[in-house]
Amino acid sequence: MPGNFATASDVIRFLPEIILAVMGTLLMILDPLLHRRSSNAFGHLSILALAGALGGAIYAYLNGGPAFGGMLMVDGFATFFGVLVIVAGILTILPSYRFLARQGAETSEYHALLLFSVAGQCLMVAANDLIMVFIGLEISSISSYILAGYLREDKRANEASLKYFLLGSFATAFFLYGVALIYGSTGTINLAGVNVVLSGPGAPSLVFVGVAAALMFVGLGFKVSAAPFQVWTPDVYQGAPTPISAFLSAGPKAAAFAVFLRIFTTAFAPIGHGWEPLVWASALLSMTIGNFAALQQSNIKRMLAYSSIAHAGYVLVALTARSEVGTAAAMFYLAAYAFMNIGAFAVVSHLSGKGERYQNIEDFSGLAQKQPLAAAMFSIFLLSLIGVPLTGGFFGKFYIFKAALESHLVWLTVLGLLNSAVAAYYYLRILVMMYMREPAEATEAVEPLSPGLRLALIVPAIGTLFLGIFPNWVLDFAGKSSVLLK
Amino acid sequence: MLDLLWLIPAAPFASAAVLLLVGRRMPRKVVATLGVVSIAVSAIVSGLVAIAFIGSPPPGNAYDQHLWTWIAVGGFHPGIALYLDPLSLIMTLVVTFVSFLIHLYSTEFMAGDEGYARFFAYMNLFVASMVMLVLGDNLLLLYLGWEGVGLCSYLLIGFWYRDPANGRAGQKAFIVTRVGDTSMAIGLFLLFHMLGTLNIQELMARARADWPVGSGLAIAAAALLLGGAVGKSAQLPLQTWLPDAMAGPTPTSALIHAATMVTAGVYLIARTHVLYEIAPAVQLAVAIIGAATLLLAGFSALVQTDIKRVLAYSTISQIGYMFLALGLGAWSAAIFHFMTHAFFKALLFLAAGIVIEALHQEHNIFHMGGLRRELPVAFWAFLAGGCALAGLPLVTAGSYSKDWIIASASPSPALWAAAIAGVLLTSLYTFRLIFLVFFGTARTPVSKQPGVAEQIPVWVLAVLSIVGGSERPAYRPFMAHLFGATPKPPEALSTIAAAAAFFTGLVCAWYFLRGDAPATNPLARFWYAGWGFDWLYGRIFVRPVEWAARVNHNDVIDSMYDGLATLARFVWRGLALTENGKLRWYAAAIAGGTLIFVALVIFL
Amino acid sequence: MLIDTVLFYIFAALVLGGGILTITRRNAVHSAMWLIVSLLGVAGLYLQQQAEFLFAVQIVLYVGGIMVLFLFVIMLVNLDQAARERQFNRHWFVALVAVAAVGAEIGYFIYRGRTGFHIAELGAPIAAPHALGNTEMLADTLFSEYLLPFEIASLLLLVAVVGAVVMAKKRIQ
Repeated sequence: MPGNFATASDVIRFLPEIILAVMGTLLMILDPLLHRRSSNAFGHLSILALAGALGGAIYAYLNGGPAFGGMLMVDGFATFFGVLVIVAGILTILPSYRFLARQGAETSEYHALLLFSVAGQCLMVAANDLIMVFIGLEISSISSYILAGYLREDKRANEASLKYFLLGSFATAFFLYGVALIYGSTGTINLAGVNVVLSGPGAPSLVFVGVAAALMFVGLGFKVSAAPFQVWTPDVYQGAPTPISAFLSAGPKAAAFAVFLRIFTTAFAPIGHGWEPLVWASALLSMTIGNFAALQQSNIKRMLAYSSIAHAGYVLVALTARSEVGTAAAMFYLAAYAFMNIGAFAVVSHLSGKGERYQNIEDFSGLAQKQPLAAAMFSIFLLSLIGVPLTGGFFGKFYIFKAALESHLVWLTVLGLLNSAVAAYYYLRILVMMYMREPAEATEAVEPLSPGLRLALIVPAIGTLFLGIFPNWVLDFAGKSSVLLK
Repeated sequence: MLDLLWLIPAAPFASAAVLLLVGRRMPRKVVATLGVVSIAVSAIVSGLVAIAFIGSPPPGNAYDQHLWTWIAVGGFHPGIALYLDPLSLIMTLVVTFVSFLIHLYSTEFMAGDEGYARFFAYMNLFVASMVMLVLGDNLLLLYLGWEGVGLCSYLLIGFWYRDPANGRAGQKAFIVTRVGDTSMAIGLFLLFHMLGTLNIQELMARARADWPVGSGLAIAAAALLLGGAVGKSAQLPLQTWLPDAMAGPTPTSALIHAATMVTAGVYLIARTHVLYEIAPAVQLAVAIIGAATLLLAGFSALVQTDIKRVLAYSTISQIGYMFLALGLGAWSAAIFHFMTHAFFKALLFLAAGIVIEALHQEHNIFHMGGLRRELPVAFWAFLAGGCALAGLPLVTAGSYSKDWIIASASPSPALWAAAIAGVLLTSLYTFRLIFLVFFGTARTPVSKQPGVAEQIPVWVLAVLSIVGGSERPAYRPFMAHLFGATPKPPEALSTIAAAAAFFTGLVCAWYFLRGDAPATNPLARFWYAGWGFDWLYGRIFVRPVEWAARVNHNDVIDSMYDGLATLARFVWRGLALTENGKLRWYAAAIAGGTLIFVALVIFL
Repeated sequence: MLIDTVLFYIFAALVLGGGILTITRRNAVHSAMWLIVSLLGVAGLYLQQQAEFLFAVQIVLYVGGIMVLFLFVIMLVNLDQAARERQFNRHWFVALVAVAAVGAEIGYFIYRGRTGFHIAELGAPIAAPHALGNTEMLADTLFSEYLLPFEIASLLLLVAVVGAVVMAKKRIQ
């Protein structure tokens, strides 16, 4: 019997994780050799690794199916999110070159941890088993905790990391408790298996499984920064190195949502009416808290953190719809969000200067005069975050609210739309700063765009516009994948 | 070859994007090359497409190029698709070719301007929008192009934005056409709502099948679309923006007047002609609007002193002819006149540009004179263009198209008379302009002769203004596929009458309209001010709005929103309290949230 | 059967009592001692379930873990000062309400679900339990069916180690 548990096809379907883990380890081994030559080598190697993982993910998709006895499921859904988190990783490394050089903090560990984190997320999105979900989640989270506090000399970063770690562990405990309850009541941790038990005749009582679902919601809600488990977000986003804040808002968030979607729409589908009120309430709370708290924020990283909470709320609206259309809409939205948010953070990282001095919204005054390209790209991201047509953000919101309406969630839709109207205010404020004010201290001191940063701005901008002009191609794929999920 | 269709809008669009993003850093040579070559590509591709289309007509005499589906939501799945039929082919050909010549001309005309890249970016975008408007196979694309054209005209009219008057002219154009655009948007919503598709061809087929002739819906839809067309094409009662639109650089005026923008309305009506056929009342209104406009604008042109304003009123008047033709059901004649008008009006504007440039930005025709020898290029160009505009019988393109329209009007004596009177007026103001500018004594010295890049377009357009009407025999059956074969109206009487009117005007202009000073009698002043429409609109619309704005000076209405803002700030304060940075509180919040969530599950 | 029940309650009391005392002791060393008691109680529960291996692991690992904890406590915490400080802040009222709410929830939960509590049957009883020991069977499952999580856990540990190193290094460069 042993030996059957790691066949060739298993390995192929596990390729991206293998590449990332091996390359991450290799980076640290090569550290003494590379360090003296060129500090950029780590970045180059990481991008290489991620590109390899991207290829691996696509190869795995072409040879898709269950792996390791059904613990992993390489399907369209997993590949969609796998590609998304890998691209998020690449887009995080691009602005990191300059950022790390400026802080004098290039090490192999930074890149290795990033690769491990992405590997964990790849594992999460393909996991079809609660144990795998948990391990992936922890790999991703622990790397994130460290990365958030990577600039150890910075007090804020230290504080952010510690808070993130403690609260994260706290929330994970709830998640584990939920998993334990599920195993206790259904006798299986396989997601499909849980679904079968729950829809079968001897299903355990709804209260029992509902509490388990609620506890797992706490753990996952924490990771995606959904209210009321969002409290850590502003502090951590503000304290973490800016490229890492970007990464947190894209990779781990998307992966956690992938897990969310898979668990709640496969395993917990039979008790959907039980968990729907939770998601409904959390969606509304997240949107409202995120948008209103962002209104008067003067620190741009905190503002983007609140905006990240609000956007988690929008995705939860799609989840509340409990339909394949909703799942596809959530997938589309997360892809669009990853692009526009990483891009926005890249601009912030570019402007922040040594020691991240410039983080205030006022610091963007007159950026359009000094660096029209950066300002133009930032405008695209901000407009997309608002949800202006011809950007990915517009179609993301459009599909989500359409899915919600189809599921007769009229009130949630109305409140969501009101929320996105409020949100326009704080994004537009930055546009006004950039285009209608004279350059200030920060914009006068801004350094020229490095090639890496240029790419880090242009690629997400192209992605954002692509999703706004050709939304159907991505949506088609998402739609097909969301059907496979059952 | 037809596969290349997408390149026609794509090339100028791409070039506009590049110029907007990085144009400022590029050397002028590169900017000019990019701007002109992109349009040249469009023009060449249009030519190739035309050859392929005419050489071996695709089935159904139309070619649909589906590029991609933009979004698919339920029954709403607008495609990004281009539709080529004789109508859009002719439009595209003329638009791209004339635009190309204007772009070439601009490389020299704008050479000293600081906003060189910006200018070419807007111009390219303008052409791209116009082509999109013409080629779009559904209402959404058409509307996109329609608004794109409006936006670009605003940007170009106010191009020299340092002078507030130019900015105001741009705003006026934008706001006045917006009135029409709103009407059109409502019309489009109505069509989509009632007929359930955005595809124009399907829409027309369904309209014909579902709506009986004279039905209320058909009339409403046709009238609403007419509103849009009237605004864009500067017809009564929304014509007031066009004379002010002269504030932009002269090539812009040429582009707006000849190839793009103002003819969009004509195209819209021709494209949706089925709708007008089942709404005869609206179609009659189109004819009447056309006839009234062509007369009104003709009188105004007669007394203008600014060379470009004469041409502007002339444009309004000529588009009145096109509307007249549309209203009479002579669809092909309207489009034919659009084509010849594009040639000679572009020519006249470009020649006027040469004159203005040579005389240090002098616009007043009473300060010109005697330029026949000083600026022979401009003179001959003006002569060719003027003869075509006024319709010198048999030898100019303008006469072919105009006579066709006049002949089509012969069943209705009143409209026919208006058309003939229009010829007389046209002849009068055209030759008044030519005599004042090119004959008599020189009043301002000439400082600059046109270079090669300005001369080539002028010569090409001059030739086209003369011979551009000769393909009429081939044109008729070509368009008949689309608009149905209409019997050729008897032209002999109309041609003779028009010729008589032309020569009368020429002679009268020579004897009566060569005065040294502008006429100052009240009637002339009334005409000069464009029949007082600006004054009237100022009283009816602008004043009340200004009054309301004054009443609302302290933002009475906004106080409600202020309340909302205060509420938002209040909520924010409350939320800010929750973010106190204390780990203990955060953990408590998470625990509390868990408690509530578990309670939700248990108690619900 | 009776002795089983009695033992269960003894162990459960150890777990809970140890836990409560862990968080209420002022002296950190005492807290650590009580933690050991609590963990031993858990080990006892494992043993009752015939999970000898887990029982052994629990004791071995946690005794080691607690030793380390002791070291840290002695090294880092100023015991005298900690003993003098207030142990609980003034938000005890909030805490009381929270505890009451939790109590109410659990009570209602049990009331609502009293008919629905059935713990799932874990398939057929494991075959030939006597031939193979519990430990051997655990190994079999772990290295065959759960090979992937077992291996991947190594990556998790690697990340944790790297993280610890990064955090503990004196300077970044």
